[in-house]
Amino acid sequence: MNSSVASWVHEAAEQFGDEISFAGTEAGPLLASPADSAQAARMLAFANRRRLTVVPVGGGTKQQWGRGVVPQIYLSLARLDRVIEHPWQDLTCTVQAGCSWSKLEQVLARHGQFVALDPLFPDRATVGGVVATNDSGALRLRYGGLRDLVIGMTLVLADGIVARTGGKVVKNVAGYDLAKLLTGSLGTLAVITEVNFRLHSLPKYLQRFSVSAADASAFSSLLASIRGSHLLAQTMQLTRQPGSSQLNIVLDGHPAAGQAELLSQMVAQAGLKLEEAAPCGGVLRDSLFETEASVLKIGTMPTDVCETVDLLQKFAAIEAKSISQSHGLHLVSLLGQADKVTEVIRRLRSGELHPGSTVSVLQLGPGIDSAAFEVTPPALEVMRAIKRQFDPENILSPGKFF
Amino acid sequence: MSSSLTSAVINELRKIVGEKGLITAPSQLQTYECDGLTAFRTPPLGVLLPQTTAQVQEILRLCHRERIPFVARGSGTGLSGGALPAEDSVVISLSRMNRILNIDIPNQQITVQPGVINSNVTAAVAPDGYFYAPDPSSQTVCSIGGNIAENAGGAHCLKYGFTVTHILEMTVVLPNGDVVTMGSKTLDAPGYDLAGVFIGSEGTLGIATEATLRIMRRPETIQVILAAFDSISAAAQSVSDVIATGQLPAAMEIMDRLSIEAAEVSVHPNYPACEALLLIELDGPEAEVNLQMEAVTEICRKNGAWETRLAVDEKARFLVWKGRKAAFAAAGRLSPNYIVQDGVIPRTSLPTVLEKLNAMAAAEGLRVTNVFHAGDGNLHPIVLYNRDIPGEEERAIDLSLRILDVCVEAGGSITGEHGVGREKQCSMSYMFSDPDLETMQRVRRAFDPLNLANPEKIFPTPRLCGERSRGAYVAHPLEASGIAEVF
Repeated sequence: MNSSVASWVHEAAEQFGDEISFAGTEAGPLLASPADSAQAARMLAFANRRRLTVVPVGGGTKQQWGRGVVPQIYLSLARLDRVIEHPWQDLTCTVQAGCSWSKLEQVLARHGQFVALDPLFPDRATVGGVVATNDSGALRLRYGGLRDLVIGMTLVLADGIVARTGGKVVKNVAGYDLAKLLTGSLGTLAVITEVNFRLHSLPKYLQRFSVSAADASAFSSLLASIRGSHLLAQTMQLTRQPGSSQLNIVLDGHPAAGQAELLSQMVAQAGLKLEEAAPCGGVLRDSLFETEASVLKIGTMPTDVCETVDLLQKFAAIEAKSISQSHGLHLVSLLGQADKVTEVIRRLRSGELHPGSTVSVLQLGPGIDSAAFEVTPPALEVMRAIKRQFDPENILSPGKFF
Repeated sequence: MSSSLTSAVINELRKIVGEKGLITAPSQLQTYECDGLTAFRTPPLGVLLPQTTAQVQEILRLCHRERIPFVARGSGTGLSGGALPAEDSVVISLSRMNRILNIDIPNQQITVQPGVINSNVTAAVAPDGYFYAPDPSSQTVCSIGGNIAENAGGAHCLKYGFTVTHILEMTVVLPNGDVVTMGSKTLDAPGYDLAGVFIGSEGTLGIATEATLRIMRRPETIQVILAAFDSISAAAQSVSDVIATGQLPAAMEIMDRLSIEAAEVSVHPNYPACEALLLIELDGPEAEVNLQMEAVTEICRKNGAWETRLAVDEKARFLVWKGRKAAFAAAGRLSPNYIVQDGVIPRTSLPTVLEKLNAMAAAEGLRVTNVFHAGDGNLHPIVLYNRDIPGEEERAIDLSLRILDVCVEAGGSITGEHGVGREKQCSMSYMFSDPDLETMQRVRRAFDPLNLANPEKIFPTPRLCGERSRGAYVAHPLEASGIAEVF
């Protein structure tokens, strides 16, 4: 090791030996790869005493979310990659945070079960990273958000305390539900090392359809009537690109129960044509994250979905693509000159959208001022107070949220 | 802190809520000295009945300034002592904040004040074909504010989730009097999920004064099957088999012989006389439910159900559920006194846990009857006793707490829906280690550094639980790494 590196690096090397290496060059951040929660705790306590900044890393697919700085230590969860247990009759599982989403899916599928979520980049994204970013996809319509699927968690606080919250049973109101606080906290409060999920059985009778039109507004009345109907829609996803809109609907119903016929009638009443579609998962959503693209997450009321995505097409000099869920969450990719994209983000945040809509920036294209990441969450002071309690030295993921 | 409110404080409070919004007469305070857990009683110094968020804010600012502990109260139906007044506290009753503020059917939301009664939410949206899913047994009297505090569940949360699943946005008055919004009417508001941690915090983090709830489309059809078994194990096996086929019923409930008998004499639901009664409710599109019900019925028969009955029309279903929901109150027919316990176990450990509970009850010479949300493993053992027999109440309380230990040992929880409150705070250290509890305390300190909001609840305290810690010892990392030692 070069003698010019900081003295704490030498100390870290002495204490943790092979568990640490350089993430890049010797001038750059250290990469610490603990083998278990206890070792992660010792590493965090080490960093905390020296006020060294730490960013937890899973698959590294969403590091940019919520902004962030390059820390002094990346804490990689890569070695915590096991599915610890899957008591399938209890419809629960316990998995380490560094396990990739697709590996977890494979293990659970052996008993016909899954965590009812379709996150981005499932092959690379890890359980911990998905939870820390509160990612969700089209399945949310049917199964709810990620926070309602997490039933327990093990976390390591900045000062090295290892704490458990929740448990291994679905119904449990003992104590504060810290897992909800950690879900979506972008690594700012603690490092998640283990997660307990409630599971669902994989659906048996999925039927996939699509409807096409030029503008999304063509789907407005159809979406409203499906929402108000008794159809068991698994997902309803709206893809909007310049010049075309497609609504994908997946039904979960026994073919003999006649749901497809009912849907067909509703589509016909809306003056549209229903087509059978091939299976398509989250691949499309992943594709919005092109290197040059700025990617936004927009939340609107369900009734404003179609209008919102049509509006995105009206901005001049940028190319907008969006994938929206009927419950009101949109993933939007913007391509164009930096100043034009910046202007669009500004306008979206200042009154172009319906009142109550929210805009978060997940990824910024080259040349765009990172100030665009800044949002003012409601109850910011409460968030700050919690952050001070959990991480008084502000070592964990500094720059995100605050 | 004093044992009475000064006249200056009383005058200020009166100015905030008006003459009719303040109760200080000892005879009237009695109503507020306990909730549904009547074994614990503490009269408050006063009771306030605010009508607006602004009034709640002014009250909490005053409490903060004067360091007066406060306890929020809904309908007082809680079973764990969550609304039990703290020593020298004021009670803030939200019962007059009972207006429905907005109904948004196209977006499937309703905004209410915290004093609105749970079943009135469904009543308000039923004409449009919607319902509010969380349905605690006390739903005709309990309030949304209380449901938020306790993260109330109910028989149907197997499929639909708990209160926390159904709250989109809340207005909350913090213990220092600040008013904040948590969550949003759209999904995934930026920032921490404060609503997620606030819901179920049992009134220790502040007071919700407004909430936007998710409402759901009423299913096209609802069918309940009643299946009679000769053993709890056979009923439990049927539950596991239904799960294994990949179905998610709206509810799955098991009642034992004693609770069936109690329900029978109480509300006459005409249940079959058997060792174990399994109730399975399916809902959804009619053709879909018909197909599923065939499969469920077959599973029950295969596991030895000697009678299966289908309740399809609303009247028949109402009677079936009336019997189940009356199970707690009906215990009064079996015994002069009883304790309703609320443990959770992994569903598959039901037969072994029940065997243990029966042996424990027999050793104490006490009777325990069981109703069980079998789908999600939530067990409600009801310990029957007679207060007039010397020592029996103590033995009953002790047994009910040891039942929770058994649930924790089976990998479960000390409470599935009733909350920790005062009743179970000493059991918390059996389920959680000191670092777990300390981490929760950090949240509490962030919201309420002066510890004014419903103090002495949830967390074990040396005063109430003694010094003993029942959790497994977990070494601090400094200790584990040899940097520090514990003396």
